[in-house]
Amino acid sequence: MTRPYEVVYIFDSALEETAINEKLARFHALIQQPGTEPPQVSHWGKRSLAYPIKKRETGYYVVAQFETDPKALPEFERAIRLDDGVLRFLVVVNEGAQPAPVTAGKSEEEDEE
Amino acid sequence: MRRPQKTCAICESGVRIVDYKDERTLSRFLTERGKILPSRLSGTCARHQRQLSIAIKRARQLALLPYIKGFAG
Repeated sequence: MTRPYEVVYIFDSALEETAINEKLARFHALIQQPGTEPPQVSHWGKRSLAYPIKKRETGYYVVAQFETDPKALPEFERAIRLDDGVLRFLVVVNEGAQPAPVTAGKSEEEDEE
Repeated sequence: MRRPQKTCAICESGVRIVDYKDERTLSRFLTERGKILPSRLSGTCARHQRQLSIAIKRARQLALLPYIKGFAG
């Protein structure tokens, strides 16, 4: 049984992009299920934070959507917590990208981004 | 005396699920100090007010929105 999830990472903005991609690949290897598509990753890039986290004023935001077994999540979250390069992260069940009812119309397209 | 019913801005915009990543829209439903605006002031319907409150709290965790605005800690 897999469910759709969405994860937002806030990386330390001092990190190189290659280092971030390498970390992402390591995290996503933990939740990759055989026979499912690889996560859809979108980089928001560097943004200023609304309040400082770990004395940092800016963060590098990455959003990823994926489908996985809920049993894989604790190990996934543990790996992220152990990584000092991640200032903060949030994993939520992805409701926006559910197959839309025919009447839903344009709101679903925005959620796909 | 009943006030005229305000219409829900989110219903009118045609959004079904409020997105916590869209902080520009969410910030319209905050007071100038960053508190969540009560639906009696913003006129949002109950369903969207519930979605809003969750979305705003998620956005705060991700530092997209401040917990308190104008507070220099």
